[in-house]
Amino acid sequence: MAMVQPRNLKYRVWTARIVMWLFLLVILFPFFMIISVSLRTGNFATGSLIPENPSLEHWYLALGIPWENADGSITQPPFPVLTWLWNSIKVAITSSALILILATTGAYAFARLRFRFKQQMLTAMMILQMFPAVLALVAIYSLFDQIGDYIPWLGLDSLGSVTLAYLGGMALHIWLIKGYFETIDNSLEEAAAIDGATPWQAFRFVLLPLSVPILAVVFILAFIASIAEYPVASVLLQSMDNLTLAVGSRQYLNPQNYLWGDFAAAAVLSGFPITIIFLACQRWIVGGLTSGGVKG
Amino acid sequence: MSTSRATRSSGAYLVIAIVAVIDLVLLYGVTLMYAQGELAFAMLVLVLAAVGSWVFISRKGYNYRYVYPSLLGVITFIVFPLIYTVNVAFTNYSSNHLLSLERVRAIHLAKTYRTGGESFSFKMYQEGPSFRLMLTSAAGGEEHYLTEPFTDSEEPQSLNAFESSHVPTGAVLPIREVIKKRSILKKLDIVLPDGTELAMTSLRKFGAIAKVYRPDDHTDRQYPEQSFALIDNRTEETIYPDIETGYYTNEDGTEQIGPGFTIYTGWDNFVRVFTDPGIQGPFLKIFSWTVIFAALSVAFTLVIGLLMACLVQWEPLKGNGVYRLLLILPYAVPAFISILIFRGLFNQNFGEINLLLDMLFGIKPEWFSNELLAKSMVIIVNTWLGYPYMMILCIGLLKSIPDDLYEASGIDGASPAQNLFHITIPMIIKPLIPLLIASFAFNFNNLVLIALLTDGAPDMLHATTPAGATDILVSYTFRIAFGSYGQDYGLASAIATVIFLMVGFIAWINLKATRRLQ
Amino acid sequence: MAEVKLVNIAKSYDQGQTWTLKDINLDIGNGEFIAFIGPSGCGKSTLLRMICGLEDITSGELSIDGEKVNDWPPNERRVGMVFQSYALYPHMSVAENMAFGLKLAKAKKSVVDERVDEAARILQLQALLERKPKAMSGGQRQRVAIGRSIVQQPRVFLFDEPLSNLDVALRVQMRQEIARLHRRLQTTSIYVTHDQVEAMTLADQIVVLSPLAQGAATNLEQVGKPLELYHHPANLFVAGFIGSPKMNFFDGVIEKGGEEETYIRLTTGETLKAFVDTSKADPGSRVVLGIRPEHTLAETDNGNAVDGRIEALERLGAESFIYMSHDTIREHFIVRVEDSLRREEGSRIRVELPPEHCYLFDANGIAFKRTRAPEIDQ
Repeated sequence: MAMVQPRNLKYRVWTARIVMWLFLLVILFPFFMIISVSLRTGNFATGSLIPENPSLEHWYLALGIPWENADGSITQPPFPVLTWLWNSIKVAITSSALILILATTGAYAFARLRFRFKQQMLTAMMILQMFPAVLALVAIYSLFDQIGDYIPWLGLDSLGSVTLAYLGGMALHIWLIKGYFETIDNSLEEAAAIDGATPWQAFRFVLLPLSVPILAVVFILAFIASIAEYPVASVLLQSMDNLTLAVGSRQYLNPQNYLWGDFAAAAVLSGFPITIIFLACQRWIVGGLTSGGVKG
Repeated sequence: MSTSRATRSSGAYLVIAIVAVIDLVLLYGVTLMYAQGELAFAMLVLVLAAVGSWVFISRKGYNYRYVYPSLLGVITFIVFPLIYTVNVAFTNYSSNHLLSLERVRAIHLAKTYRTGGESFSFKMYQEGPSFRLMLTSAAGGEEHYLTEPFTDSEEPQSLNAFESSHVPTGAVLPIREVIKKRSILKKLDIVLPDGTELAMTSLRKFGAIAKVYRPDDHTDRQYPEQSFALIDNRTEETIYPDIETGYYTNEDGTEQIGPGFTIYTGWDNFVRVFTDPGIQGPFLKIFSWTVIFAALSVAFTLVIGLLMACLVQWEPLKGNGVYRLLLILPYAVPAFISILIFRGLFNQNFGEINLLLDMLFGIKPEWFSNELLAKSMVIIVNTWLGYPYMMILCIGLLKSIPDDLYEASGIDGASPAQNLFHITIPMIIKPLIPLLIASFAFNFNNLVLIALLTDGAPDMLHATTPAGATDILVSYTFRIAFGSYGQDYGLASAIATVIFLMVGFIAWINLKATRRLQ
Repeated sequence: MAEVKLVNIAKSYDQGQTWTLKDINLDIGNGEFIAFIGPSGCGKSTLLRMICGLEDITSGELSIDGEKVNDWPPNERRVGMVFQSYALYPHMSVAENMAFGLKLAKAKKSVVDERVDEAARILQLQALLERKPKAMSGGQRQRVAIGRSIVQQPRVFLFDEPLSNLDVALRVQMRQEIARLHRRLQTTSIYVTHDQVEAMTLADQIVVLSPLAQGAATNLEQVGKPLELYHHPANLFVAGFIGSPKMNFFDGVIEKGGEEETYIRLTTGETLKAFVDTSKADPGSRVVLGIRPEHTLAETDNGNAVDGRIEALERLGAESFIYMSHDTIREHFIVRVEDSLRREEGSRIRVELPPEHCYLFDANGIAFKRTRAPEIDQ
């Protein structure tokens, strides 16, 4: 590409840059706006991008600290945002870890072991991962209603039920990990077997250490997916203190109780760490998405 | 050599022991379920436990050890719900028909009514951890009844009461405490020596009650469900479960007595979807909008994603890494937050977008009440959310195009547009197709966007169940099943079943496309 | 060190519909160096993988040191294997690679260090112990792979085409190192290769395998010492496989048989003499006469010659090969000459086939006994 440079390159570069800047301006507008809104006074104030009377009231409320208004009245935090964030993180970490364990062992079997119906199972997984849990919410609701009769901490309105329900997302990850395992020379594990390793030891000491990159990708993908999941959590969770962030955030923008400013602060507060995690791992996630995606 | 083989067998004993413990716990659970009449669940758990034990004990099952847990997960959380949903689609399962016939019968049998006899005022005494009631006839008189001691239990309790002239030893609870205990008191069934049953009728009174229904013991039955028949103690009329409507009815079928029970209704729900004008109309509209929405979302995200990928990959631009990071940002922020941000920004009166438009052009579009505007908004937001994913995929694919193709076309004097249409697109379209189909399927079921952004608004008129102009099939289903106006799980499942078929079809096409790629 | 015994070993990947290996019987003595050789697809690697346990044995019995090990997993068989791809653990250093097996077996640290040091000394790897495989050359990796087997002190060494990824010069050097190693350790070794030079130079005994033909009883063609295979191939397959360039084959019939010598009439009418024992064959039966390119004498006629046209010439300096055409020939007719005399393509020459160097095979490809060939110590 560098070899052949047309004469009007400079003009082209500048056009491209201006297009890019305008596009970025439009794309990033919501983010500038939401930060600005979070610093405004009150929930109905309007104004320019840079707030005229910046106030931290929404931030105090988002962090769960009561705010004393100018007239001396006290506003209590409307919702337990930090509890929701903590709930989301608990659910996401547990479910991602379980998904990682199950998907890794499953992928190992599909990539390395011989057993009957393997090909059919793989095709089934490929098709099944296209059926989102959204379509079976009635069944999931009913399933956890029944489970709750025997194991209360897995029943309705428990974080356990949401964690467990998210395990259904593992079919895709099995494919992703399997694709990676297949790029690793099988004779490494055979060599380990000859060296006296049991299949488990070959898996544990040879294959796993070599697969750390993909395992990290899968963990992060599963983590982000479960943080952002709304439908299942909205059906399974009911009480205010049990909500995850995705379900809880919706409470802010009810027509009857429109808390635009409070929402803005809560959104920035909770969205920020997750965004940072994503961007920090961006390289791996992009790699995982494209390689997994291209291989199908 | 023999030593290493011996250790293996001792390891095997450990595995057997663990499996045995797990099996024991599961068997206990199975017995519980069986006792509660959950036959299907009991069988399912039994089969899974048996297969699991075989896999972990038998040497032949060794290779399955690694797949069994993940298969179990996939079966329990994907396959089973799918089958269950299809099953529900053939029932009238809904908020009015939640329970099984047996449970409904039990509810009817537990119903009581005030017989209008004597009523008693009561005092509650605490004796250590347990309580007693002293009942005094409202008609006056010296004698009163004392109940057996009872405990703080949420279970219904039946207590015998006996006549006594003594006052219990414990302390009388003040009315404040009695109110706190009323949920326990409500469940008490006090039997007087003459057989009269008393129940709590008000905060200060117990009154005589009787069961509304008793089982009908006739044995000459025409239909099996008639064995569930009940006789009304007040009128001596017999009521039967009607397996057509899912309610108990009186003899001539004129009166339905709630709550209803769940029955199989065959294809009724599907027939409703395709013939009931209040459902069929919205359903077809929503279906076509779903397809348009998904197709446009894929198209717009692809076009923008591809253009941005080309720009970001173009070296003379400089600072490509920073641009890429900023462009990915909409994908990095959790979708539920961005969607809610847009919901606020697009708000008609307080939203910043309308403020801006008002300032610039003096207009305030009704984003949530005008059908066309609402649809445009949904697509705009979804394009914003989705283009980074397409960009990421395109960047990956662009990297695989050899540079010398562009060098060759540069020597031939090709313009950037010619490069795009004659080299780039033909080179990446083939591996892209399965990804586009997958993206289509994702948007086809993009409940989060609709539920959080518009919740279907604006609403359609003349719909039997709530339906909106921006509703897609899943959000429509979601509202039927979990909306605030009556929950019709059966109908929702029927529509979900129809969606299964469509998604299955898409998945099948995707599989074909992927196979062709290989 | 151990004896390995294979009895009626067979392998099928599809429950007996088609067979990869059939009826393999072998007795490998203590300390012997055995080479499995054959064209690709003959199942030699499969057989090796069955011995170490990486493939199931469909039927038959495999025993090591008298113990039947059919169902033992590879980690319990105490064999060492060197893979074609080396299969070094990329995330471990050379020392860790070699120590891996011993650590799994929970050997004492002193034992591990001692064995690793010794292996490193034998293979001259002392300077590389802390390196990762990625930072090493092909030959060095090959040495580490061998070292990894040595430290385990296996009962049997298995080599799966270990030199095929190396360049020619390195291959010769490694070949000699393996030979030296075997002399030093005296461990029973099984070596799979498609390169007959490796097999001939390294092995005490060579096992020749062929791709299993439809309906054949076995694909084990011959077991023998290197020169035995060269001078007394059991059949047409072995005769054609051993030796480079390949042996030339002429179609003909027995004109006059005998215990000492036989006259064969080629289909073109020429009659040739060969020192083979055909006393049990009927005159007139179809046979194939073979002669190696290095035993033919170009432009010579001592009364046992054929006539042919020169098709092509290959001059290699020290020797030259003449590609001839002849009507009764199978595949090709190559004549080796030492001088690089000028010969014209298209011209006709006579080629002498000395009768003491002729091989003869019956219609089923089974060899007749040669009467004047060099004796091989049995």
